[in-house]
Amino acid sequence: MRILLVEDDPLLGDGLRAGLRQLGFQVDWVRDGEAALRELRAQPYAASVLDLGLPLKDGMDVLAQARRHGLTLPVLVLTARDALPDRIRGLDVGADDYVVKPVDLHELAARLRALVRRAHGQPQERLQAQGVVLDPAGRSVTLDGVDVPLAGREFDLLHVLMLNAGRVLTREQLEQHLYSWGREVESNAVEVHVHHLRRKLGSALIRTVRGVGYMLPRDAAAVP
Amino acid sequence: MSRPSPSLQGRLVGLVVGLVAALWIAVTAFVWVETRHELDELHDGHLAQAAALLVAQNLREIEDDAPVDAPLLHRYAPRVAFQVWHEGRLALRSANAPTAPMVSAPGRSASGFETIEIDGHGWRVFATRGAERDVQVYVGERSDARAAILRAVLRGLLAPLALALPLLALAGWWAVRRGLLPLRRLGDTLAQRRPDALLPVALDDVPSEMAPMLAALNDLFVRIAALMETERRFTADAAHELRTPIAAIRAQAQVALGEADDAARRHALEATVEGCDRATRLVEQLLTLSRLEAGGAPARAPVDLVALARTVVAALAPQAIAHGQDLGLDAPPACQVPGDETLLAVLLRNLVDNALRYSGAGAAVQVRVERHGAQARLVIADAGPGIAEADRARLGERFFRVLGSSASGSGLGWSIVERIVAVHHGSLRSGSSATLGGLEVTVELPLSAGNVRAA
Repeated sequence: MRILLVEDDPLLGDGLRAGLRQLGFQVDWVRDGEAALRELRAQPYAASVLDLGLPLKDGMDVLAQARRHGLTLPVLVLTARDALPDRIRGLDVGADDYVVKPVDLHELAARLRALVRRAHGQPQERLQAQGVVLDPAGRSVTLDGVDVPLAGREFDLLHVLMLNAGRVLTREQLEQHLYSWGREVESNAVEVHVHHLRRKLGSALIRTVRGVGYMLPRDAAAVP
Repeated sequence: MSRPSPSLQGRLVGLVVGLVAALWIAVTAFVWVETRHELDELHDGHLAQAAALLVAQNLREIEDDAPVDAPLLHRYAPRVAFQVWHEGRLALRSANAPTAPMVSAPGRSASGFETIEIDGHGWRVFATRGAERDVQVYVGERSDARAAILRAVLRGLLAPLALALPLLALAGWWAVRRGLLPLRRLGDTLAQRRPDALLPVALDDVPSEMAPMLAALNDLFVRIAALMETERRFTADAAHELRTPIAAIRAQAQVALGEADDAARRHALEATVEGCDRATRLVEQLLTLSRLEAGGAPARAPVDLVALARTVVAALAPQAIAHGQDLGLDAPPACQVPGDETLLAVLLRNLVDNALRYSGAGAAVQVRVERHGAQARLVIADAGPGIAEADRARLGERFFRVLGSSASGSGLGWSIVERIVAVHHGSLRSGSSATLGGLEVTVELPLSAGNVRAA
């Protein structure tokens, strides 16, 4: 899951980036409001962690402008401002969650996962399709109740496809979802990961739409 | 209010009653003196006239050898007496007059007024002679007769006063009490206030004498409210400002806990320690600032600015060298300013540390101490990117950080520097360094008196 971290404090930004990476997120980190707005409009982030006291443009303005531009991604505001009017205003302007510093990394990760899940209309924590159950928190996948070990990228790819079940995602979109900046993307990386997933979970799980991309069909059955 | 305090009402009533009484008594004294004088003139006139009548009468009527005792015809008569002597013999006298001459010193008291004593009473006597010097007349009046009249006059004046004073005190008490009603109302209003209610007091119909006091009071309320608001905001800001380093420490510590890779864990742990240092520095700065804000005049001992600058530069040099920065000090042998050595060291450290922090690796930072007239001038210049004019104006805002700079800081340093310069009656300005191109901060402090002459 690729998220944008907006935090001007070097030490905190570094720590959050490292911590969220440990917990399986792809993290891009920007330090000011202008850069945040630019990146939010350029990349398909699953969510954003937004500080409020930012250089160049206040976090509240970034949020308001992002919403005006039609960006619907979940935004978690992480700030030192804990006054009730601040919280209310933050939520009213378009924040999906409001967390006061300091925050536990695991809680932050869980909140981000919940925000992303809800943003995709998924009420349950676990995603399910054709006997495959994906647990975003535990980063584990089972096929008919049996654990299937997946590499990090494979898991991320499956996660994105399951979150967007029923929608065709292009190779470029998938690459953008999977890789934060500075990570080298091999030209056929997505194909290789899809190949591995099919081998481990069955070839019928992921459909290829020739010349466009990939899709995971929506499961008709109800989720347990 | 347990200790009895001087009452305004008591004072006013006391003053009014006292003044009226004093005035009355003064008038009485004046009347007394005047009356006595007039009374003396009048009575002396009567004595003289009576004597003249007796002299005129004697010549024709009293030829008899036996002395005649005139009867006492009026209740006032015992207080008046007369003697008529004809050729050395007592010819006529009032019943209460002695048989010896009333004025016994012969030769001298032939005529005129005399005060004598007869039977233990004071008498005022007028003596005169007939034209042929054979008739000697004495007319006397007891002095206490005059005193009785005077006493009656005084009684007439003082008796109403004795009666009027308590009434006046009572009326004054009531009037003053009524007059001071607005004052008591203000007191009640203030007494009923909650300690945190600092809104201006609004009273209807405030007398004009009280308006300045009320205005001053309300002004004080406004200032205290502003002060408390500043304090409250500062506390809140400070607490918020501590949240970020704590959040960083927590995040880095959690990263270290969850990190399998040794190098990455080491990096996170180092960052944790750095975060603690930053939080410590922030707390120190907050404490310094709060101590400075708490007021209290700093010490005014002579401080050698050059020695102090040397110490601070020496302390920060290792950090500068580690970043490839060129830190140097240009200064005369000594430069004394009156001040607090600890605070001036904090000032120097803040300025030099900031220059090192924000000028970047490899940049030159120059510290200069120089004398300029009666001022000691401390200049800290760097070869860093400098600060835009608009940002320079905002340096004084607490927690303001120049945007885009990657160095971490609380933004409190400048506030501290400003306060220290202010308590030393100096001046502070920031500009662009002509020689190094970066930020140049100039602090001017008054030199010690002896130092100015030496310079």
